Amino acid sequence: MTAHDPHDTPAAVPAGEGVPVPRFGIEALNVHCGVARIPVPALFAGRGLDLARLANVMMNNKSVALPCEDPVTHAVNAARPLIDRMTPAGREAIELLVTSTESGIDYSKSVASYVHEYLGLSRHCRVLEVKQACYGATAALQLAAAHIASGLSPGAKALVIGTDVSLVDEGAQYTEPAMGTGAAALVIGDDPRVLALDPGAFGTYSYETFDSARPGPTFDVADADRSLFAYLDCLSGSFGAYAERVEGADFATTFDHLAMHTPFAGLVRAAHRKMLRESSGVRSPEAVEEDFDRRVAPALAYPREVGNLCSGSLYLALAGLLETARPRPGDRVGLFSYGSGCASEFYSGVVDARAQREVAALGIGRSLAARSELTFEEYTELLGETRSCLVPERERRIDVDRYVPLLDSFTKERELLLHTGIDGFHRTYTWHSADRPAGR
Amino acid sequence: MDETTAFEAVRSSTLEVLPELDPAAVTLDGSLSDLGANSIDRTEITTLAMERLDITVPVTEFHAVRNIASLVELLRKYG
Repeated sequence: MTAHDPHDTPAAVPAGEGVPVPRFGIEALNVHCGVARIPVPALFAGRGLDLARLANVMMNNKSVALPCEDPVTHAVNAARPLIDRMTPAGREAIELLVTSTESGIDYSKSVASYVHEYLGLSRHCRVLEVKQACYGATAALQLAAAHIASGLSPGAKALVIGTDVSLVDEGAQYTEPAMGTGAAALVIGDDPRVLALDPGAFGTYSYETFDSARPGPTFDVADADRSLFAYLDCLSGSFGAYAERVEGADFATTFDHLAMHTPFAGLVRAAHRKMLRESSGVRSPEAVEEDFDRRVAPALAYPREVGNLCSGSLYLALAGLLETARPRPGDRVGLFSYGSGCASEFYSGVVDARAQREVAALGIGRSLAARSELTFEEYTELLGETRSCLVPERERRIDVDRYVPLLDSFTKERELLLHTGIDGFHRTYTWHSADRPAGR
Repeated sequence: MDETTAFEAVRSSTLEVLPELDPAAVTLDGSLSDLGANSIDRTEITTLAMERLDITVPVTEFHAVRNIASLVELLRKYG
């Protein structure tokens, strides 16, 4: 068996004679990237940034959180449509909930504890949160998938949600337009209707570096050059480790599509160019561009509309690939996850025949198009309040009614969870829809 | 490794990434940013230079690089 035939599984896990290879992976996937956006050119103009650099950032819109949104509402609003499509037995089968975030709300109490409550998950579900910058959700996905593949709890499902809010303002300069807000939710199980993971086909690469961090609840620190280096270094390192495990793996030919963590689209373009040159010897600009347009660009469609979703970013990229490029069943996708600090992984999976229907049913592209457009003035007005979203306070009241007009295009069709404040350090939330307004 | 070899690797990598540049503009006392290289360009130039010289410099070493001279110096250190 070679890794060139997309319909074969790479021979990372040698199957014993007559022993079936376990099937497991992503059963369902949804992203929620808030209800508002600002066009990136408007943000560049408002901040007086050099428009010549837009080509490098490669972004159209940036998702913007409202004061009534936080990591909990993002996570719940991303996962709720997946839960709604399940049978009661299916919901009961969710035995593991993992939230991944770099937007923690407490040193002890997790975002997951609130998410578990507002999604109405079983009391027999394991609940926990992980932190590893933008790599956290992939680590959680891999550990959950391994648990499911182990067969220790037949039929079990896991719900993994990467959720984050942005804290950047003008101090972040060119990083400000690139930072998004939102969550990606994944159901992991033994019926991978979206993407079947290639068993044992992964490579990891991690080491300590201080490229970017969030030392406190109100600000990030970042060294852009060091971060770019670490990202590119980790892609080489993790793909190298993947190729050690998967016989015949080749960056240029093994994967029909590539989806990568997207801090900004320009970096993914540079990373792809570097890998083709380095691992496959492809140097001609025309060949690189043709390959980029065919195998990489579709996964940038949604990140370019949202910005960096942190650990949800790779899954936003995957959602865009599945919804806009419509890969054929059996197509192999190479996925690269990178988190500052740093940790990374390259792995692969095969698109299921049902993926098209699964993803289309959620209307992710439609939701992105439905976001309300903010002016630069409206955006800057919101920043003060949204940047204090993670600050622990004993009491806080959020006037949800002020933001209802911005929610309209969403809440005619569905309920959204909104953050209403803090009561004795306990965060408070309410469901809101056009026919059942919040707090009424 | 001598300075000329390291500088030539940086110069040819810079011209590969920024083909419109006047080759004479790349000098030891300039900086890549001043030549119009953005953060991705700078990363790519450095990576290409390492490939040309067949050396690997740990990522953490680059934080002190502020101009072409210090980049050349760093590449020589690992050459």
